[in-house]
Amino acid sequence: MMLWAVNALIALYLLAPVLVVVATAFTTTGYPVFPPRGFTLRWFESVLNSREFLEAMRLSAVLAAASTAIATVLGTLAALGLARGSFRGRQAVAAIFLSPIFFPAIVLGLALLIFYNRVGLAGTLPGMIAAHAVLTTPFVIRMVMASLAEFDPAVEEAAENLGASRLRTFFQVTLPLIRPGVVAGAVFAFILSFDELVVSLFLAGPGMQTLPIRIFTSLEYSSRPDVSAISTMLILVWLLVGVPLYRRYLDIRHA
Amino acid sequence: MTIQPRAGRSWGAGALVLPNLAWLVLFMLGPLLTLFVISFRGYEAGRGIQDSWTVAHYANFLTDPYHLEILGRTMRLGLVVTLWCLLLGYPLAYGLSRLRGFARAILYFVVLLPLLTSAVVRTFGWMILLSNNGFLNRTLMDLGLTEGPIRFMYSMDGIIVALVQVLLPFMVLALDATLLNIDPRIIEAARNLGAGAVRVFVQITLPLSVPGMLSGSVLVFTLAVSAFVTPSLIGGPRVPVMATLIYQQGMSLLNWPFGGAIAFAMLASVIALFLVAMRLGQQGRDRQERGT
Repeated sequence: MMLWAVNALIALYLLAPVLVVVATAFTTTGYPVFPPRGFTLRWFESVLNSREFLEAMRLSAVLAAASTAIATVLGTLAALGLARGSFRGRQAVAAIFLSPIFFPAIVLGLALLIFYNRVGLAGTLPGMIAAHAVLTTPFVIRMVMASLAEFDPAVEEAAENLGASRLRTFFQVTLPLIRPGVVAGAVFAFILSFDELVVSLFLAGPGMQTLPIRIFTSLEYSSRPDVSAISTMLILVWLLVGVPLYRRYLDIRHA
Repeated sequence: MTIQPRAGRSWGAGALVLPNLAWLVLFMLGPLLTLFVISFRGYEAGRGIQDSWTVAHYANFLTDPYHLEILGRTMRLGLVVTLWCLLLGYPLAYGLSRLRGFARAILYFVVLLPLLTSAVVRTFGWMILLSNNGFLNRTLMDLGLTEGPIRFMYSMDGIIVALVQVLLPFMVLALDATLLNIDPRIIEAARNLGAGAVRVFVQITLPLSVPGMLSGSVLVFTLAVSAFVTPSLIGGPRVPVMATLIYQQGMSLLNWPFGGAIAFAMLASVIALFLVAMRLGQQGRDRQERGT
């Protein structure tokens, strides 16, 4: 009984900041306050009418879409190579491929800033896209590898024994079977890129405000409840798209 | 992640890893190597990076009292956050490992939620809760637990409160994985031999979950000492840590060699801890194999 009382408190602690952000999006005061006073939807309206927020959202979407395209191709190929290839140091290569998940973003950001400064990519969109692809590819690799582990490679052998070429086997047998993993990885990559802040802060040019950068800079000074409203919208997107994917991927990992 | 050996492997298929390898060399490993080299280059204010070689930036970071204070604060933050995550994460993971079906899915969802919301958004929530006249302080004062507001914003305490929440899921997931791996027959056997619930927990469950505690701790410590968003928004310039110092050197002061030196000092501390944890884990396994 004691255990569940303690766990209920810890669960409340875990949920607190998210609940607070959502609640303050509806306050009638001119600043975010919890508990909120009154009820209004005007902060959502103000977000949707704000050129700055829409511009930031558009930039984040373009960045996320482009980096996701790259990450999906690189990640799917890498997962296939790791699962189907036989070469020395495969475990080491896998470890390097997954390392961007936990590598300190602050260090990678500084390293890329210096490198980009030398090759003329500093403050450019292509530079940011390349960096985001680095950060999101490991998640595509994980999801695709999980899908690859689910089916029997004998079906590929069967296709090849029946005379299908390597390429034909890939497109007609392997790809359809791993499609759920590829799609999940792509969606995940998109959301992670859309949310990414630290590396973007280092690499964004003067006029380039992604949505997380826009929120971050507004929090450094003073914040209005419209920041709560845009945050609530982000949370909602995550819940609708991210949770099913995350559960699927974790279930596989902890199966 | 372990990779199962399977039939149908070929060297040719292995070539598929090359594009991503090239991408990482170009956009991660190469730049990191450049940063490492630059951290040994001379730097003069106003004139920029010099061609000379020096260890002055590392020496400066490890001897200057102001920087040593930041190093100490960052390590302390890592340790305190890791301890709190162990303390709060253990009961949560233990509870989680005993649930099945829908109840487990719900608690799992609660644990995952912080991972699923962006760092900025979560930190924003804490800023609202932790301010001097925020909900937490007003509640504490209404309950008569404190007379005046506790200074959470722009303080170490505030960073810890927010960072533990952000990193707790990683600890819970690591612990949950090892707790689920404990063979229930061992526990049953102990029960049948007459051990009480407390004794089973202390003598069996706890020692068997040490690997999860170690891997979770390494992960949480790494993420805590390199965290940037939470210390910069909740701590602000008044409570600098290594990550905010790196950002300041990189973006405002443009002293990249010094920024690089701090970055590699941070990586070194993380790697050192990782090696210690591996050593501890190995010792634990040896002892279990010897059956003591």
